[in-house]
Amino acid sequence: MSAVLHAHPETGPALGVDAGKPRRALSEAGLRGRWWRFAAILAITAVVLVPIMVTVLLAFTPGPNSTATGMTFENLSNVFSKTLAATWLQNSLITTLSTVVISVAVAAPAGYVLSRGRSKAVSGYSLLLFVMQSLPIITSVVPLFILFAGMGLVDNLLGLTIIYVGSTMTVATWMMAAYFDSIPISLEEASWIDGCSVFGSFTKVVLRNSLPGILSTAIFAFLLAWNDYLVAIVFLRSNEIFTLPMGVQSFFQQNATDWTSVMALAVVMMLPPIIVFATLNKYFSVGGIGGSLAGR
Amino acid sequence: MTTTTTQSGLARARRGLAPGGPGGGSRNSNGNRRSKLSAQATRTFFWLLFPSVVLLVLIHGYPLIYAAVQATHDGNLLQTGNFVGGENFATVLSSPAFWKAAQFTLWFTLVGVFGSWLVGLGLALLLRTKIPAGGTFKVLLLLPWVVPIVVSSTAWNWLVATPDSLIPSLFRNLGLGTPLFLADPALASITVMVFKVWVSFPFMMMMTSAALASVDNTVYEAASMDGASRWQQFSQITLPLIARSTYISWILMTIFCVNDFPTIYLLTGGGPVNATTSLVVLAYRTVFQDFATGPGVAIAFLMTMTLVVISVILYRQIRKSSVE
Repeated sequence: MSAVLHAHPETGPALGVDAGKPRRALSEAGLRGRWWRFAAILAITAVVLVPIMVTVLLAFTPGPNSTATGMTFENLSNVFSKTLAATWLQNSLITTLSTVVISVAVAAPAGYVLSRGRSKAVSGYSLLLFVMQSLPIITSVVPLFILFAGMGLVDNLLGLTIIYVGSTMTVATWMMAAYFDSIPISLEEASWIDGCSVFGSFTKVVLRNSLPGILSTAIFAFLLAWNDYLVAIVFLRSNEIFTLPMGVQSFFQQNATDWTSVMALAVVMMLPPIIVFATLNKYFSVGGIGGSLAGR
Repeated sequence: MTTTTTQSGLARARRGLAPGGPGGGSRNSNGNRRSKLSAQATRTFFWLLFPSVVLLVLIHGYPLIYAAVQATHDGNLLQTGNFVGGENFATVLSSPAFWKAAQFTLWFTLVGVFGSWLVGLGLALLLRTKIPAGGTFKVLLLLPWVVPIVVSSTAWNWLVATPDSLIPSLFRNLGLGTPLFLADPALASITVMVFKVWVSFPFMMMMTSAALASVDNTVYEAASMDGASRWQQFSQITLPLIARSTYISWILMTIFCVNDFPTIYLLTGGGPVNATTSLVVLAYRTVFQDFATGPGVAIAFLMTMTLVVISVILYRQIRKSSVE
């Protein structure tokens, strides 16, 4: 490995070969290669993040009618005092958190059955979940709109939550199943010998050891519900029922020139997913356990 | 995050599932206990699965059947109307708007899948090497995927929408004219596709990184001893080793692209002159702006069929790649 690598330190590793061992002193060429790659990735990241940086910068830039100089929180306070931003934020939080809780509550038991069950019915159900997941939401949105209209669930946060739970459910169930696969069955066997029921071992042994799996499923449900636009645009009609995506969009359409306020609202909307992502970042890769199991 | 679990979902669907269950797990206890436990397990399994089945029927099963009814009737959002058989499908299939949207969807999907894959693969390979603060870059580069589309499309609008926006001004100052990124039909199509690649490449990067992490480095030592060039190592070792994950990421991204609504709708609204109207946008407009439920649902159904066909083709590729 070393011969080739050290001959081409700057390009060899980029083709999928790991660079030399960390403990080995790097040659001057190797060190230079590292800094070249650092410069390249720095430039790429800077370009990629331009739209996000622009959003944040504009949000804290004084607006056209402002007397403030430098950075200001004026736009943020304006957005909250002049629009229903607080209501939208609240609606989004209610819908999203309900979706997260119910999704996990539905997906965890189902995922357990998918992980431990061995009957044809269970494997058939697993396949069914895959097929349903790949169908366009637009196909089911129209019938659901008609069904929900009859039940008073259009323009209603409960109706929105039901659809979000339905659409997160398929992938969430797999995520839970993949995580449960990684929990050795011997742990449960021990509890059964002690007289524990299957349900008891599920809650007391499996669930108790599944916090990372539950968190990554919750992050997935959170992002899906928080970011959705298609379901919201179909089902939400009135301003005070809007979730943030609808709020941001309607505010943008009415105030297309008032960029600083629009971006302030956009920052409000992008902050929660970024916070979730920043604090729970390591659970994003938890599904990797499932990935390695998939290969067996 | 969802990447690898979906992989395992596919895998479990493929292999007909299942590590040992409680029935099999109690192998080493006596037979009486086992049968008692497995009867109890079956009952428990039923109730554990019950809420999931109810939701699947309500949110996925019922609408699918109802959509089939709507697609064959001439009703609207308020009433079902009369049975018209395949008339809606005939209307849709003979309309130029449908074929234009199908064509755009095809290009959007091709560029979305392979564009984001190439960028994601390149960055995953680059980030696999030793780079100062590499972990930080890995996290930062995921941001386009984490930030809501409503927010990022607003930012992109600010960057490119009018002739006085930042990027057109930049072009003008460089003497390259003033491109109308969202007003010129051809340019708007390209802009939407670039936006889609921008949103999606972190997903591909994550999937590829996870796959690369499981590649054993010793294979490269052997290859370089045999005198394989770096390109040969990449094309004949790295790519085949991550092929399964690659095919899965293509399937998923194909589904994401064909089903995508906000990326297109929020940036261009399907315009200018329908240049960026995809099938989903067309179906949405047909139902909720033209109030033609039957044709709209028929479009969605045709999309569904196409997706199933594409998935089956790629699914076979996966099977082949795991046999090798």
